[in-house]
Amino acid sequence: MIIFEKVTKKFPLGNLALDNISFEITNNEFVFFVGPSGAGKTTILKLILREYLPTEGSITIDGWEISSKNFNQTVTLRRKIGMIFQDFKILNDKTVFENVSLSLMLTNTAFSKIKKEVEEALKLVGLDGKEKVFPQQLSAGELQRVAIARAIIGEREILLADEPTGNLDPKTSWEIMKIFKKLEGKRTIIIATHNTDIVNSLQKRVIVLKEGRLIKDLKKGGYEI
Amino acid sequence: MKEIILSLRRTPYQTTSAFLVLFFTLFLSLILFITFSFLQGILVYIETRPQVTVYFQTKTPESEIFRIRDTLSSSGKVLSLKYISQKDAFQIYQQLNKDNPLLLEMVSADILPPSLEIYAKKAAFLPEIAEFLKKQPGVDEVQFQKDIVDRLLTLINILRKGGSIFYVFLLLMSTIVLTTTTLFKIALKKDEIEILKLLGATNSYIRKPFILEAVFLGLAASTLAFILFLVIFFYLKPFLTSYLLGLPKLFLNLEVYQLQVWPFNFLFLTVSYLFISFFGVLIAILATFLATSKYLKV
Repeated sequence: MIIFEKVTKKFPLGNLALDNISFEITNNEFVFFVGPSGAGKTTILKLILREYLPTEGSITIDGWEISSKNFNQTVTLRRKIGMIFQDFKILNDKTVFENVSLSLMLTNTAFSKIKKEVEEALKLVGLDGKEKVFPQQLSAGELQRVAIARAIIGEREILLADEPTGNLDPKTSWEIMKIFKKLEGKRTIIIATHNTDIVNSLQKRVIVLKEGRLIKDLKKGGYEI
Repeated sequence: MKEIILSLRRTPYQTTSAFLVLFFTLFLSLILFITFSFLQGILVYIETRPQVTVYFQTKTPESEIFRIRDTLSSSGKVLSLKYISQKDAFQIYQQLNKDNPLLLEMVSADILPPSLEIYAKKAAFLPEIAEFLKKQPGVDEVQFQKDIVDRLLTLINILRKGGSIFYVFLLLMSTIVLTTTTLFKIALKKDEIEILKLLGATNSYIRKPFILEAVFLGLAASTLAFILFLVIFFYLKPFLTSYLLGLPKLFLNLEVYQLQVWPFNFLFLTVSYLFISFFGVLIAILATFLATSKYLKV
């Protein structure tokens, strides 16, 4: 359960990214954050990841008040979360296998388990057999699949995606969304996006943001500002 | 190991500069360590020798020598005294030159002077004892080792102070170069570090590859410095052996053990290698910690 309670985020130069935002996301829920650029979508994801701390208000994840300055479980928190970026953030000098296995490598998981989980994750995203391929040999859609595989491996309970289809053509975007659909109900999925078609078609919960404020919270909504 | 070598090969110029600076520092450290140990060994040796040796003329009667000995003994300034008669001196001479029959034939007990070896209670009494002996009848020569000990102590002190300053400078230089090199590598791996942090990597996990690389460089540089030292040593060995002929075994007095420093032996060389390896690794780890702490903000 993710709870934002009257969260405000001001940056040091004074620009207001979020203004008194409150919402709750239950476990295994599928949520879209929509809104124009600068609405505060990415800021919310970064607050969940504890890359940022709120200026005011509190953020609680599974009972942990992560907005507290004394919170010292950031590493454990981040191991519950998988993050997907618009620009993929795939390491070019590592193979697909090495990129995907990063999540598990840092928890000293046995290699046999890593191998099994990577194979399963790659199969789920449709990249089975491409373990030894380097990122330069992959298309943008495939790179995003690698990023998704990296984000879901290791039983991560929360999946955050920041404009996951932002750099992809419509067809590939739909293929990526199909992967998210496959994961629905198995973990909490939070997607920040501009993609009107996808949001309207999937009919999931939509939280609409504008200039840092929460405008609407629709249980089965479409893209509307 | 494969990943360390791969990472080092990806930044060949930075790796080479870091390696050369470390190598230079460790090679000089090794030379300083061995020189200091050698001089300390000589000091220990000299301190165990009689502090004043008085040689008498060959015709000086033993009664006169014993009178001087008794006067010194009752002065309260002498710790111990040893009388070496002409016969004893000849036996020592025979022992020292047992492999040279020609020298043995040429010398008899008559021409060797009797002597007294005197150990003072305090170094401050030495000039007084020496002056007293010089005034006694039948005295041929007074050998007074305080000057030698003082000069050696001064030399060791200069070496210790000068070496320390020089070493601190080298340490600083190596640390700065290694820190800069590590920072460059951190910049190259910025994306990877960012991703690892977001995936929940601990600080030590992020630091680990940088530390392993630095330790590898430190060990490689110390090993090469040691090999170079061995090559130079074996090249100069004939010269050193003949120049230092007659120099007895020298020891470094450690708290629990007497380490033989001359002639060079396996144990002393192993200790020297471990010494520079330790410093190499220490410098490398220190530099990595500085770089990662300040700029990674992990």
